[in-house]
Amino acid sequence: MKRFVFGFLTGGLVLALGIAGYFTLGLANVAADAHHSKWITQWMISSVHASIRRTAPRNLESPLPASEENLIAGGKLYLNDCVGCHGAPGQPRSAFGATFYPPAPQFALDGTTYSETQIYWVAKHGVRRTGMSAQGSSSSDEHLCLLAGFISRVRDLPPRVRSAIADGAPH
Amino acid sequence: MKAFLLGFISALVILPIASLAYLRLGLAEVRSDAKPAGWESRLMHSAVHASVRRSASGLQPPARESEEDAMVAGGKLYLNGCAGCHGTPGKPEEDLTHYPPVPQFAQVGTEYSEAEIHWIIQHGIRDTAMSAYGLFYSDKEIWALAAFLRRINNLPSGVLERIQDKKAPAGAAN
Repeated sequence: MKRFVFGFLTGGLVLALGIAGYFTLGLANVAADAHHSKWITQWMISSVHASIRRTAPRNLESPLPASEENLIAGGKLYLNDCVGCHGAPGQPRSAFGATFYPPAPQFALDGTTYSETQIYWVAKHGVRRTGMSAQGSSSSDEHLCLLAGFISRVRDLPPRVRSAIADGAPH
Repeated sequence: MKAFLLGFISALVILPIASLAYLRLGLAEVRSDAKPAGWESRLMHSAVHASVRRSASGLQPPARESEEDAMVAGGKLYLNGCAGCHGTPGKPEEDLTHYPPVPQFAQVGTEYSEAEIHWIIQHGIRDTAMSAYGLFYSDKEIWALAAFLRRINNLPSGVLERIQDKKAPAGAAN
C-alpha cells in the first residue's frame, strides 16, 4: 500500500511537471487564428455551461415583461453594443467575432441554449478566458435585462420588433 | 515495484479524469469580473510569452527610413483601434472586466519585442480577449503598430504630440 501511494504521488508529480514544462517551454500554441479542435471546443462550451447552470440564479423572472417595446429597446442596445462580435439579425456571421479563440457565438444566426436569466448573468459577469468581458460595471441591470430578453428571443422576434430594429441596423 | 507502478499509472489515469469531471460538473468558476490568482497569472504569462517567443523567432522588423514616422503611424492606428481596451497614453485605467485582464500598455509598456508584438497582433492570443487582427490590418500597419507599442511608455520627444495632432498626416508607415 505504501508503495502504491508513493507511486501515485510520483505519477501526480510527473504529470504536473510535464504540464508545467509543456507550457513554460512555449510548446502550447497560443495563436487565436489557428484551427479549433472540436474536442476542446466541446469541452470548453459544456464546462462553461455547467458552471453557469450551477452559479447563475435559477428561473428568476425578468422584472421586465417581453413586450414589443422592451424587445425593441433591448434590440437597440444589442445593435449598439453587441453586434460587433455577436452578429446582427439578417446579416452574415460577424467576421470580427470569428477572430477570437474561442469564437464569439453568433446569436442572430444560431440563437442560444441559455435561459434569459443565464444570459443576463453572463452579460453582467462575463466569461473567463474568452473575449466576453463583464458588463456589470458599465451597464445598468435594467439594460442587461432588456438585452437578455432580446437575445433569448433573437431568432423568434415578432415582425413589428424585427422591422423596428432593422431601421437602426448598421449597413 | 509492482505496487509502485500501479500507483504511478493510477495517478496518470485518475488525475486527468478528475480534472475533466471538475470541469464538466461546472465546478470551475467562469465569471470574468474577478482578479486571477497570482500563481495563475504568472503561469499563463510565462506560457504565452514562451510560446510567442518560439513562434515569432523568424520574424524581422522591416528596414525603415524613419523609426519615428513608423511610431507616429502606429500610434494613430493604436488610438483608433487598440486604446479602447489597452489604454490611452496619459490616462491611467485598470481593466477589471476581462479575465485575464487586458494589459495596459500606455502605463506599463511591454516586454515583447517588435517581432513578437507583430505576431500577437496578427494571430491574437487564444483564451483571452485578444483576437487576431491579421484580416483587418496590412503587414505594414502591423509593423507600424509594433514600432509604436515597443516604445509606448518611452516615446522619443515630439512623437506623442504628432500622434495626437489630428491634422498631421499619418506619414509613411514604411
